[in-house]
Amino acid sequence: MAQKLYPRGTVKRIVKAHSNRNVSKNADILIFLDYMLFMQELMREASIKSRKSGEKNISANTVRKVTEKTLRKFQG
Amino acid sequence: MANTATPNARRRISPGISTPSGDTTLTRLQRLPSHTRYPLTPSRLVTAATPSAQRSASRFTPRARGVGAPATPYGLRAIQQRAANTPGRDRRRSGRMQRETTFDILRNLGRALAPTSKVIKSSPQEKPEPVEEPKDEFEELDNEPEIERPRLSLPIQESEEEDDDASPEMRPPRMSLALGEEDMDITYRSVEYPRDASIRDRDRLSMMSRVTGRISEDFGETRYDSDDADETGIIGEEDGEDTMMSGGEFDRGGETEDLGRFHFDLNFPSPVAAPLEEPTDENVNDFDDFQLSAADIQPLDTVEAPSDDDDFGGDFGFGLDLAPPASPSASPGIVGGGLRDENVPTKTKEKKMSRHGIPVPNLPAGVVKKLATRFAHSKGGSKTKINKDALAAIEQASAWYFEQASQDLAAYSKHAGRKTIDESDVTALLRRQRHINSSTTVFSLAQKHLPKELQQDMRLAMPP
Repeated sequence: MAQKLYPRGTVKRIVKAHSNRNVSKNADILIFLDYMLFMQELMREASIKSRKSGEKNISANTVRKVTEKTLRKFQG
Repeated sequence: MANTATPNARRRISPGISTPSGDTTLTRLQRLPSHTRYPLTPSRLVTAATPSAQRSASRFTPRARGVGAPATPYGLRAIQQRAANTPGRDRRRSGRMQRETTFDILRNLGRALAPTSKVIKSSPQEKPEPVEEPKDEFEELDNEPEIERPRLSLPIQESEEEDDDASPEMRPPRMSLALGEEDMDITYRSVEYPRDASIRDRDRLSMMSRVTGRISEDFGETRYDSDDADETGIIGEEDGEDTMMSGGEFDRGGETEDLGRFHFDLNFPSPVAAPLEEPTDENVNDFDDFQLSAADIQPLDTVEAPSDDDDFGGDFGFGLDLAPPASPSASPGIVGGGLRDENVPTKTKEKKMSRHGIPVPNLPAGVVKKLATRFAHSKGGSKTKINKDALAAIEQASAWYFEQASQDLAAYSKHAGRKTIDESDVTALLRRQRHINSSTTVFSLAQKHLPKELQQDMRLAMPP
């Protein structure tokens, strides 16, 4: 936490590339906040699913299965 | 029965020789042989034979003589009844006869009408193509004047004549379609095949957890463009795909490349993205070529490049099959550089293209891993581990998320008439995602998740 949480320039460039629009100075913070919420949700779903299927660790397949559902939730 | 008959014969012969015996005996004996003289007639046998002898004979018949020849009338009746009860051969014969009669009628009719048709039937399978085409052409030529005649008769003005000029131009496509059904099939396949592939692409995209709403939105944007634009888009799709394949090799799962290509090509005719998309497909390919040349530094790309030549094979095998081989090749490099992360992957990895043709950097794997482990630990206890493949999948998901979110944000800012994505757009997104409501604000969320410096920056940007 003391370190940089995320590279702000990279996030800005990602969003700018996908949207073909400029990103205002501090909007990337909120975008990353949303991304954190997304990750939280994704990992929550993945851990629930992996626990249901009896796996100890979160496997790639469970993540893939959960991805679509979580992306749907984060559809604006 | 036989015992009774033979002694009589003997007696009859012997007394015939010895005439001196009594007349009464002779008459009796002569009467008896009158019965025995014609032993074959059944009625006399039955009447003459004693019931016991008859029984013995009836007992023998079924066993000894068998079923084939029933001697007694009872046996005959039994066989007749059996034949009546069981369907046997007669019914089949009748069924055959009924079926055959219909065929026979037709067959006879055919023979009567065209006795030599059988010989001709074999030949048309080979010949019809050369034979039918000229016929059809003649028929078309015959059809045209018939349709034109009324039009010629009705109009006298020049405008009608112009219509006549226009009408034959309109017809030929119909003629070409109607020209021989086999030809039509061939053309349909040749034309439709890439279209089918594109449809499969869409299906696979929807299957592949990529949000379908995106695609529909894209269609909504491009709907008012002509159909020709779509066709060109499809053609461009193939070209783009071939070049993007190599780019997808280092993309985890390679699916976003596919998606990006798809979106890119759909958006291609849209006026919104005009400044960057003014270059036609060739220019797009130039971009890709540039990407390839940049990627040639890496050995894997050069290996993969020749395999891109086949269009459809690459199309089908692209989505999921290449994902496993791509992920291990990509993941170790990332995870190995996990601590240095921030600059290394962006340099080594060749960049993916967004739908707008802008290279998209990847979020550093260290950040993703940090977040993933943090949230996994917070929810699932401290023991849960995330292996490399799972991390790759998470990175793929996050790439998809950024694509989706930035498209949404672009839509919001466009709706607001702005050219930049503003904080209000992101708050609108958060609100629509139900992360912000009456009880939770952006600031409470930020306080929960973000470090203080970022919170301060955010507050500066967003006065409450």
